[in-house]
Amino acid sequence: MMSNFWKGIQRYFKRDLLPLLADLRLAIALLLLIAVFSTSGTVVEQGESLAFYQANYPEDPALFGFLSWKVLLTLGLDHVYRTWWFLSILILFGASLTACTFTRQITALRWFSRPWNFYTQPRQFTKLALSSALGQGSLAQVESTLGQRGYRTFTRDQSLYAQKGVTGRIGPIVVHASMLLILAGAIWGSMTGFFAQELIPGGQTFQIRNIFDAGPWAAAQIPKDWAVKVNRFWIDYTPEGTIDQFYSDLSVVDAMGTELKRDTIHVNKPLRYHGVTLYQADWGIAGVRVRFNNSPVLDLPMAQLETEGKGRIWGGWVPTKPDMSEGVSLVATDLQGTLLVYGIDGQLISTVRKGMSTEVNGITLSIVDLVGSTGLQIKADPGIPMVYLGFGLLMIGVLMSYVSHSQVWALESEGQLYIGGRTNRAQVAFERELLQVIDTMETPS
Amino acid sequence: MDLVTLQGWLDNLAFAVLFLTMLCYWSGAAFRQVTFLPKVGATGMAIANLTIAALLVARWIEGGYFPVSNLYESLFFVAWGLTAVHLIAERMSESQLVGTVTAPVAMGISAFATMTLPDAMQHSEPLVPALKSNWLMMHVSVMLLSYAALMVGALMAIAFLVVTRGQAIELRGSSVGTGGFRDSRLRKQIDATFKSEAVAAEATGGGGTAVLEKVEIVETPKVALSPQRLTLADTLDNISYRIIGLGFPLLTIGIISGGVWANEAWGSYWSWDPKETWALITWLVFAAYLHSRLTKGWQGRRPAIIAASGFAVVWVCYLGVNLLGKGLHSYGWFF
Repeated sequence: MMSNFWKGIQRYFKRDLLPLLADLRLAIALLLLIAVFSTSGTVVEQGESLAFYQANYPEDPALFGFLSWKVLLTLGLDHVYRTWWFLSILILFGASLTACTFTRQITALRWFSRPWNFYTQPRQFTKLALSSALGQGSLAQVESTLGQRGYRTFTRDQSLYAQKGVTGRIGPIVVHASMLLILAGAIWGSMTGFFAQELIPGGQTFQIRNIFDAGPWAAAQIPKDWAVKVNRFWIDYTPEGTIDQFYSDLSVVDAMGTELKRDTIHVNKPLRYHGVTLYQADWGIAGVRVRFNNSPVLDLPMAQLETEGKGRIWGGWVPTKPDMSEGVSLVATDLQGTLLVYGIDGQLISTVRKGMSTEVNGITLSIVDLVGSTGLQIKADPGIPMVYLGFGLLMIGVLMSYVSHSQVWALESEGQLYIGGRTNRAQVAFERELLQVIDTMETPS
Repeated sequence: MDLVTLQGWLDNLAFAVLFLTMLCYWSGAAFRQVTFLPKVGATGMAIANLTIAALLVARWIEGGYFPVSNLYESLFFVAWGLTAVHLIAERMSESQLVGTVTAPVAMGISAFATMTLPDAMQHSEPLVPALKSNWLMMHVSVMLLSYAALMVGALMAIAFLVVTRGQAIELRGSSVGTGGFRDSRLRKQIDATFKSEAVAAEATGGGGTAVLEKVEIVETPKVALSPQRLTLADTLDNISYRIIGLGFPLLTIGIISGGVWANEAWGSYWSWDPKETWALITWLVFAAYLHSRLTKGWQGRRPAIIAASGFAVVWVCYLGVNLLGKGLHSYGWFF
């Protein structure tokens, strides 16, 4: 009973499901369907707030008469690439790709084990578009001409078979297999990897805590026995005052504070340690180091101010009386070192540069330094080696697939030389080549 | 003369040369008997190619980095790629029709870059931190070359559709080798000739000359085995396929290099950013084209329609995405 059931499933899989999945028309339909669905995510804003969609996609009048925010959110158009329907199509595509790879691509390898198919009858040549019967020329001549053109030739009795560009037959197999590898690597990475973000002032040590995306099996990847110290964060500016590059001087330290690795990172140059990568992603101003008259250096915090998207400003408050009843506000827009000093009444008192001092409320306020904080993107993705291997093979595979596989047959029979051939891609170039070969037969040198 | 003035001269020159080239190709197609016109056109393409190359080199020296970072530079890089791929396609196909479709597009791009683009967007600007990487040169130049190749391939598919309007066409090139076989009607005639020869040989072997003469009287016209040449439509289709076959690996390598760059710089090789998504859409459309050529019953004009629609998709990917919003991939816009 049970075995019958399994046999039934097996038969259904082999007879119905597999041929359906391996059907080229399904593959083309899926390719185009993924393309069409992908466009929706580039037209509708992704990952915005409910209020955003309510404001931009009102119910009345609905966009195109139907696309209100309710319809949009029900379909998941605010996060197209993570909706069940988009992922199902990707899974179906993966299944089709797998079926295709095993039923069509791998079986295409059988081509290599086929015995060389010599043509032994003149009528075999008539099916080839590029074939000719010649009064002159010999098999040896054909062999040497084709040899010069890079063909591998095989002869038996009065027949010849020659081919070149077998690479072009292997290419598509490599392409399909490497795409499976990339898909597998991507799935593996999303299951075992994690994503974190930290905003750390210069001089502080941190452990990776602020994880905002992690796969179900990611726990092993999150570092527990080491932390990162931000030695310094700074920005290089061009002479015109625009940002040239962001830098973070980072040290990987163990529980005892011993340095295990040290590197200066910038955008395009991350730090890697034990499978975890730290990227320069953002920055901020953490605080200001000041001195009152001849006091020791004091660290005062600064915070980013709300500007409703009109540029980034950081501000901090500096008390000028011990009971904090009076003080000034310091405002900075970048790490170049200029601070604006505002009084308690909101009036601009003065501007001061790093290393300089200014007189406020009868006290000399010296600005020793501005402390930057570095925004780090932290990631571990164990799927990367597999994905990169897939990338490499895919690039090689598509290049191999450009090569056209050309085959030439020749036969000497009853004083005639029959020659014919075909190729699978470069029809025009092959026609030119074969006609030249035929020409060399007709004009004996 | 300083480099900026030189650039001003070169971009206008490139536009003027491409305009004349287009006229040559068009009048050459209209008046077939004037054979020198397409030759002048080919020379014009080569001159335009060199002019744009000189323009880009001048930019490179002025800016100090490979000039593909703003709209003006990238447009001229694409125009350079178009003229280069055109020359390859023309050489491969030995057809003068190629220029009638490629020249207007190359001319249009250079006209847009030279005249429509505001001056502020034509200047060389310093690179933002995220783009300061050796990957920039590799990723962007490969992407733009792939756009150029795919555009030429798609344009040739459009030319193929125009040439074959109202006909049923069997395609020749695909990776499983459905092409390369003789037209069945022609094949029947040749087979008949073979058969009658065999009968004749038998007759000569078995009886006298009288029988042989009798056979020759009833015989159908003799068709000798000779190569069946490709038609103009076949050639256009196949060269379109080969040029797209060249653009597709470039697009693949360009997307992968972008993914690897993004992973090295930000820690994610794919983030569904609009430009990435449209590059994937372009890739999918041309992958569908390549597969449609293998599908029985789809061969003919249908793959060419997919390739022709790919022309629009490439443009959306290249420029349309700018209209959608900001990002590292945005060249900026001027509306």
